[in-house]
Amino acid sequence: MNRILADMKAFGTQYLRSRVGTFFALIFPILLILLFGAIFGSSGSSPVTLYVQDLDNTPASHAFTDALNKTNVTTTRTIPGSTDFSQYIRDHSINVALQIPSGFQDALSKAQNGTVAIVNLTLAGDQTQSSYGIAVSAVEAVATRFNLQVAKAASVVDVLPTSIPGLRHLTYIDLFLPGIIGFTILSTPLFGMTAICAEYRSRRYFKLLATTKLSKPEWLAAKVIFHIVLLFASVALMVLVGILVFGLKAVVTPMAILIIIAGTLEFTSLGMALGIFVRDPETGAAIANAIGFPMMFLAGSFFPVDAMPAFLQTGARFLPLTYINEGLRATMTFANDATALVDLLVTLGFAAVFFVVAARGLSWKSK
Amino acid sequence: MGDPVIDVRDLSKHYADIKAIDGITFNVEKGEMFSLLGPNGAGKTTTVEILEGLRDPTSGEARVLGVDVRTGYRKIRERVGVLPQDFEPFDRLQPREAVAYWAQLFDRTLTKKEIDDLISTVGLSDRAETLAMNLSGGEKRRLGIAMSLVGRPQLVFLDEPTTGLDPGARRELWGLIRQLKKEGTTILLTTHYLDEAEQLADDVAIMNHGKIVARGSPAELIAQYGRGSTIVLAGAGEDGLRAVQARGITAELQGVDVVVKVPVASDMRRMLEKLASIDTPLNEIYTRRASLEDVFLSLVGARMQEGVLAT
Repeated sequence: MNRILADMKAFGTQYLRSRVGTFFALIFPILLILLFGAIFGSSGSSPVTLYVQDLDNTPASHAFTDALNKTNVTTTRTIPGSTDFSQYIRDHSINVALQIPSGFQDALSKAQNGTVAIVNLTLAGDQTQSSYGIAVSAVEAVATRFNLQVAKAASVVDVLPTSIPGLRHLTYIDLFLPGIIGFTILSTPLFGMTAICAEYRSRRYFKLLATTKLSKPEWLAAKVIFHIVLLFASVALMVLVGILVFGLKAVVTPMAILIIIAGTLEFTSLGMALGIFVRDPETGAAIANAIGFPMMFLAGSFFPVDAMPAFLQTGARFLPLTYINEGLRATMTFANDATALVDLLVTLGFAAVFFVVAARGLSWKSK
Repeated sequence: MGDPVIDVRDLSKHYADIKAIDGITFNVEKGEMFSLLGPNGAGKTTTVEILEGLRDPTSGEARVLGVDVRTGYRKIRERVGVLPQDFEPFDRLQPREAVAYWAQLFDRTLTKKEIDDLISTVGLSDRAETLAMNLSGGEKRRLGIAMSLVGRPQLVFLDEPTTGLDPGARRELWGLIRQLKKEGTTILLTTHYLDEAEQLADDVAIMNHGKIVARGSPAELIAQYGRGSTIVLAGAGEDGLRAVQARGITAELQGVDVVVKVPVASDMRRMLEKLASIDTPLNEIYTRRASLEDVFLSLVGARMQEGVLAT
């Protein structure tokens, strides 16, 4: 145990003296939280800017534009009535724009008087952008309301937005923080340990260590324990910033602590297992990037897995980070420890496999 | 004489395309400084790494401190100190921290005084709190030697400890290595510097292509393979050469110096007397002993510069 602690202390001293390592372990996750928190902030998301060309320019068309602004989903800006609608969109690289044709108010009036009348609004934009879909929904909702008013009909089916019963009122940061913790559990040990293995091999530290009484499992254990301590410090900072800046309500539960420990063991071991194949720092960085970056995006750290295409969702089931992200969200955000327990067990399973592979495969000796 | 500290018998290490070591045999006695000397690729480091338990031999036997290194190296780790080839310390540890850390890896907790003494032994007291990355090449090697000594080892392996260092740093390390030997530590030193082996070693094995081509003390090797000594009449010039040849002595002109080879040591006095009687202007007369460089040239047929054989 003394050898493990000595190695952990020496490694930790060097790690913390390396500003790059400290930055990515402690500061970078905070920057991500501040950045994403500021972007998606307290209201959930910022309104989509919808450009409107009002060719009718009547009280009815003004009322339609006002109604769009009141949805809080869109903010309107005006396209002058005298300009060419399509040309204006191209010239100003506009994502989504609405054209209210002349005769809009007339059509409404005729309809109210019982005469059949149709008016078509034009909604032009880049359909690959999520803002286009949001704008379509907002315009259709306002149009539906106008149609009901004209028809003098009452709304039958309505939606009452409310929080999940029994849960704290959650904000964006409560859903985002577990993903950032998962991202940090992946990135700090995985990238760190792959680089360390490359450095230890190229600078012959492994051979040097092999002449001491420190065993390979002891060396591995020292690295795992150090990263667990580092991750706890990182999570504490993230939670503190989350509470102070964004009023975070998600809770670091005992189950979350277990998942953080298991996840750190898992990715520290994976980093060391990858170190088996690493001969120099450049190869180490390439291997860690090739595995780490796709995983952090596909495993739901930043975007929910269920928002992805079906085949990617299936692929995500094979990624160890998926279970850490889902487990942390389950326990921290939804207080669902039963689901989180399954994720914890899967994570422990991955961790055990990676640790054994690393301990057996990582050779300190020469052939 | 007791059991040898290192006992190597018919040791071989073969790879698919090369025989890195080809049936070498030697032993090192307690308190001896033994040098494996040879060019890069001769098999020195492979031999040392087998003795350090870092490589398994293909065949043969290697015993260190009475233990077969293949099966029992773990038992003797704390009795052996190692300074590997191209040693680099941990960049972001200070020498004091590095020594304390290394001792703990041998289950030893050094007191502050013990650490200070060790740091002082290798002459790093002024740099004890400097990050290793900021030490000079020579200071890094000295730190490596300090780390190799934390377990108070009976045997120290120094694998090319002065390679790449400037002459001043090399001589400083030589002093430190001599001090270790004086304290009774057995040392196995590998080097491709002929003068280093000649200056430091009690016993030398010259390796080439995985084999030991000669073995003995520097004096023995020089006597056996060095082709005698040389008398130099400095500044004697062509007049001096004619005067020497007139006495029936074979000589040659090297620059402005007249050089006379004396193959047999017992002829030296007689030859010096003959040359001293020649009445010709010169700066000085001095003798030059054959060196390991001459031995190496004689055995391998090429000179060695920075570990590379000159063609």
